[in-house]
Amino acid sequence: MSQSVRTATWPAAASAGGARPSGFGDPLFGLLVRLCGLLVLLLIGGIMLVMAFGGREAFSTFGLGFLWSPAWNPVTNRFGALAPVYGTIVTAVIGLLIAVPFAFGVAFCLTEMAPRWLAGPLGTAVELLAAVPSIIFGMWGFFVIVPAMARHVQPLLRHSLGQLPLLHTLFSGPPFGTGLLTAGLILAVMITPFVAAVMRDVFNSMPAVLKESAYGLGSTRWEVMRLVVLPWSRQAVIGGIMLGLGRALGETMAVTFVIGNTNRISASLFSPGNTIASLIALEFPESAAGSLKLSSLLALGLILMLISFVTLFCSRLLLRRGA
Amino acid sequence: MEPDANHRSRAMPDSAIPAADGALSAAARAMISIRGLDFHYGDHHALRGISLDFPARQVTGMIGPSGCGKSTLLRILNRMYDLYPGQRATGEVLLDGENIIAPGTDVNRLRSRVGMVFQKPTPFPMSIRDNIAFGIKLHERISRSEMDGRIEDALRRVALWTEVKDRLRAGAGALSGGQQQRLCIARTIATRPEVILLDEPTSALDPISTARIEELLDELKQDFTIAIVTHNLQQAARCADQVAFFFMGELVEVDRADRMFTTPRLKRTQDYITGRFG
Repeated sequence: MSQSVRTATWPAAASAGGARPSGFGDPLFGLLVRLCGLLVLLLIGGIMLVMAFGGREAFSTFGLGFLWSPAWNPVTNRFGALAPVYGTIVTAVIGLLIAVPFAFGVAFCLTEMAPRWLAGPLGTAVELLAAVPSIIFGMWGFFVIVPAMARHVQPLLRHSLGQLPLLHTLFSGPPFGTGLLTAGLILAVMITPFVAAVMRDVFNSMPAVLKESAYGLGSTRWEVMRLVVLPWSRQAVIGGIMLGLGRALGETMAVTFVIGNTNRISASLFSPGNTIASLIALEFPESAAGSLKLSSLLALGLILMLISFVTLFCSRLLLRRGA
Repeated sequence: MEPDANHRSRAMPDSAIPAADGALSAAARAMISIRGLDFHYGDHHALRGISLDFPARQVTGMIGPSGCGKSTLLRILNRMYDLYPGQRATGEVLLDGENIIAPGTDVNRLRSRVGMVFQKPTPFPMSIRDNIAFGIKLHERISRSEMDGRIEDALRRVALWTEVKDRLRAGAGALSGGQQQRLCIARTIATRPEVILLDEPTSALDPISTARIEELLDELKQDFTIAIVTHNLQQAARCADQVAFFFMGELVEVDRADRMFTTPRLKRTQDYITGRFG
């Protein structure tokens, strides 16, 4: 096979005196790859335009008040973004609050503590965790975490932290198992591998002599991490955290399973709620074409995209400056 | 600490010839005594049967071609090899009579007693002041005024104080290479160690900065026991009181610096110091 190819091509090339084949090939290929690049820009611009265009009715009907109206009533045709935006931000923040220390622990263990035979498999496990489809987390959350939260965690929190003066409102209400806290917990598990992977890479990129200098002064591993590695890598670590935040904001399936899907704003973390993504996923099939409800959902989508873009932009900026 | 019989029997391997008449060690007590030290990187036998004394308040220079094990030996003296898997030392390294390579040694305390300066300057990404305060804060709780005094003292001792006293809050990265290296030495002596290890401390510096560091060593040995690894034989001749020549993981010869460079006892040493190999 290869022999025949060779005999077919070599003499031809030789007879052309080594000159490159001329014709339309090069310009055509150049045009194609340029189009591929342009298409990405067109796609992202097109999506934003469609969202903005689809949501124009919601924005023209409710004005900017759409952003801070807590209403979501298909019967009276009153819609507002506040409840899902609130749910989106609260669950993402809970997710970060749990995931960041967890991810830091994972990265610290991987880079400083774990012997080599453990660090390899552990690192792979972290990457595998990132590859678990979100529907799996949704089902696991629904069948395992929600009952556990209802039976054990939420009653425990209510009787401990819920008794403290300031935290009282956060941990009150009936322990349904579903709700903002449970959604945040699932999100934490989902974003931990992303944050941990970034932290691990940043910690590993620290020059060895700098670490050795700190050890050479008698620092413990924790002191080296806290006083030298973390200050040195702060920007990139924050960039990694923003990357996780971006994912938490947009996560749909797993959250929809466990958040309770109620359009409500409550100070209690046990309260069921909504995120932008879960609301759109649930309501979209029940929205008639051309209805104000559909337009409101598309407007919500635009808001979510903007929040995600800003987060991602900040994370890129920090990661680049940190590197 | 009870040295075990196995180590004792290997205390004086044939390869190492001790100083001719003990003239050196008679005057000075040995701060560090190495006896029958072997070191392995995985399967690689990097040091074989090393026995060597580091006299207190003197400079011991370690010379030899690349890969001969001199830097490895330095990294044993503060247990830096502990950071990496698959590296192990056997034998005895006595610091004030205590075997520091025995398991159970408090390495953080050891490293506060045995400071290290690296080939390239390694200032931390923080201010000049914080660089010096870093090591002190690890081991002592002292008042702010006392801290200021310690920082000034450390910077004066490396002749850096007048150059930086007006910008102690500035980042250490803005200093020149030579200044950074003196800052690293100041950082090391600020924790008041007993021994200072220097791993080719001037190989990344220009000749003027090098000369200043060498002068500095002469003053520092009033208070510290110094071990310096160098590729520069003139530097060893200028700075060291005692010189140890390593080759292929073995200690070939150790003697007073003046004797070592004028009348080495072994041909291999002579070949190296006259530039016939290495």
